[in-house]
Amino acid sequence: MEGASGCRRLVGAAAALAVATATVARLHAQEMVGVQVTPVLTRADPVPGGSTRTELRLNAPLLFGSLRLAGGRLVLHAMLNGEGWTMPHGQLATGNFGEGWEDRRHPHTWAHELIAAATDLVALPGGVHWSLTAGKGFAPYGTDDPMNRPALIFPVDHHWSQILERAILILGVRRGALLVEGGIFNGDEPERFSQWPNWQRFGDSWSARAHLLPTRGVELQASYAHVKSPENRPGAGLWHQKVSVSARLERAAGAGHLYGLAEWAFNSEADGFFKYYAGLAEAQWSHGADRVYARLERSDRPEEERVFGDPFRSNRPHLENSNLGITRWTIATAGYGRRLTPAHLPLRMEAIGEAACARARALTGLFDVASYFGRNDLWQFSVALRIGAGTSPHRMGRYGVAAGMAPTMARAHAMD
Amino acid sequence: MRWTDPAAVTSACLLSATLAACGGGGHAATGPDTTGTGVRLVASVEVPANYGQHDQFLRAGLAFLCSWNTGLQIYDVGDGRAGGSPQHPVFISRIVTAGGEVHNAWWYWAPDGQKRYVFVGQEGPGAIGSSSSGDIHVVDISDLSAPVDVASYHLAGAGSHNFWVDEANQVLYAAYYNGGVVALDVSGTLSGDLAGREIARIQPGGPGNTYVWGVMLVDGSLYATDMLSGLWQLAPASGSLQVRGGGNNVPDRYGSDLWVANGYAYSGTWGSRAGVLGDAVKIWKLGPTGAPSLQDSIVTPGFTTVSDVTASSDGRMLVFSAEFGPKAGLYFYSLATDPGHPAFIAYYPVIGNSQNGIHTATIADFGGRRYVFAAQDPPSPAMLILDVTAISP
Repeated sequence: MEGASGCRRLVGAAAALAVATATVARLHAQEMVGVQVTPVLTRADPVPGGSTRTELRLNAPLLFGSLRLAGGRLVLHAMLNGEGWTMPHGQLATGNFGEGWEDRRHPHTWAHELIAAATDLVALPGGVHWSLTAGKGFAPYGTDDPMNRPALIFPVDHHWSQILERAILILGVRRGALLVEGGIFNGDEPERFSQWPNWQRFGDSWSARAHLLPTRGVELQASYAHVKSPENRPGAGLWHQKVSVSARLERAAGAGHLYGLAEWAFNSEADGFFKYYAGLAEAQWSHGADRVYARLERSDRPEEERVFGDPFRSNRPHLENSNLGITRWTIATAGYGRRLTPAHLPLRMEAIGEAACARARALTGLFDVASYFGRNDLWQFSVALRIGAGTSPHRMGRYGVAAGMAPTMARAHAMD
Repeated sequence: MRWTDPAAVTSACLLSATLAACGGGGHAATGPDTTGTGVRLVASVEVPANYGQHDQFLRAGLAFLCSWNTGLQIYDVGDGRAGGSPQHPVFISRIVTAGGEVHNAWWYWAPDGQKRYVFVGQEGPGAIGSSSSGDIHVVDISDLSAPVDVASYHLAGAGSHNFWVDEANQVLYAAYYNGGVVALDVSGTLSGDLAGREIARIQPGGPGNTYVWGVMLVDGSLYATDMLSGLWQLAPASGSLQVRGGGNNVPDRYGSDLWVANGYAYSGTWGSRAGVLGDAVKIWKLGPTGAPSLQDSIVTPGFTTVSDVTASSDGRMLVFSAEFGPKAGLYFYSLATDPGHPAFIAYYPVIGNSQNGIHTATIADFGGRRYVFAAQDPPSPAMLILDVTAISP
């Protein structure tokens, strides 16, 4: 934990978790509310500067729920995230970047999702369904939030493959196996966990996404986004043009359950002056109480000047439009999880172990990975205990007609 | 090498009553010197956070504010035509040159007396050390209330940075990062594409070892600071910018800005090079041929970058700006006694309210008083106007 204040947060979080669990257990019968938290002990070797660091974090303390009204035509989603409380200094995650964090995953904002989605308020003919979604959440772009996926540590491509924590307005239309969404939102990403979207910038950015389900358990996705100045909140930064394509598989495999995802993303800034590519494949096989998973990723990231005295932070907002170069990260991750509690209990626990090895090389600029980290084989080990109660998180970023179409990964973080 | 410890000054500032007096405000504020430094904030011109204030060019009572996407802003700070003064700057006009990203400017006074053009540098995106972008724009201010963007120069694969203009010979020298140094003929009427005006170009460190920050012409030599390869002495455009001396002489840090005065060059440093921060000002003795040799360094732990270096027109005061760190702000040194070994005068901190410091500083003398115009970084971007008469050597 992060010193004495971190210990106090741990005790506080445990107490809050106990209260929330008791409450959730009562509501569980209605499948409305869930709570989850994951203490994670992570060792990164090396971190920037060349030393080794081990940290305990209360990762993703979540209180979430969905409320279905008007016969399910109106659905409210809420997910509160307490990472600003339990890990305000982020989580060790070598290679991660975004929102002013480097080699750490940023804490999410307090309100990760606050969504209202109305579906088929007016019935359309021809088997066409539609929905209108508004609130704070994910723009219709890219793949699932890593919190919904197998691994503990986020991938490098998080900010290339998802657009999160924005004020959004989404129109979704679905007919049979085809789903198309279009949305507008604010381009600015949060600079800190207490920050709300810059409402004055609502509508300055847009995205569109299409899903196709050619057969049961298979989902093909393609999306495009035009995002104004995500890294300069007042709006003076560069435009990002983003492309994401993916194939997702989830189905029974023998006595177990198989999940797989392959995604590719491209991010262009300043009309192609900066180009970032990302490719990722991950899979998980689960059986009974056990699951094994693996992820292979090769993703580019911008290198930015770090804040004085803190090698894990970079300046926000950006001042000029330059960076220290682009590095390409190749990371292999593998992990194993075992559910410790019987499936029928309202309180669920899962033990998880994960290891990752990364290598990085400079593509442009003057950033030298080996001199910055001391070497170029970068290891990271994590052990965790995921604790949850109540319902599982919904598939974040899938609202309205998209929520009804997309399957939920059955054996990821939700531990169902 | 000498080390500056401005800790005592900083403490005095932090205990002072007004944050604005410590340079941490960003709102119009005037008042006495409460920092104990002898530096008095007389005005603060707020600039929209778009991204903010980057640089300023002062001449004959006009201030040309380079305010990034807000454009080039012209203020009367003592010219008299609009009743402005350093204490009460008066806005005259503004122009956003093509692409915005207004980085630096130079109001050009031609030998024939014309004062028609302002050269504006656009700093586009770049990967520091390897690539850059951005053009030179020419703004016609014949009508000061309605400036017009009339010409531009584009160098494929590189972007402009700081300028120096040899007004007598009508040559604009532009640092061009990975493009090196470019010399343009700026005589006569300027319009359209200035590609045909290019006189000479050089990458002093060669491909892969060139990223030029700034240039300055003194006594027939053009001095260029390169972030990668140090301080160079070049021939002027009439000599095709050929290398005369220096180069590959700052291996410990990345280079930044420079100024030349009194037979010495003063060059800043930038960022972090293998963990060594840009907290140094290098002092170079210029030999009989003008070739630089390292004489001394001023190292001031507590910030990351010396972002601007400038000296007063009488050569008696050296000022440098510092960014990113607990000791960011402005540093004042005396060159009066020994310009090869500047003597510390004062530190003006700009660290309150999460300020990142000062990006550029310009010295200007009005009415018998000396002022420093300073570009305060976001999150509260502004041009600060400081009366430094009391500490001028």
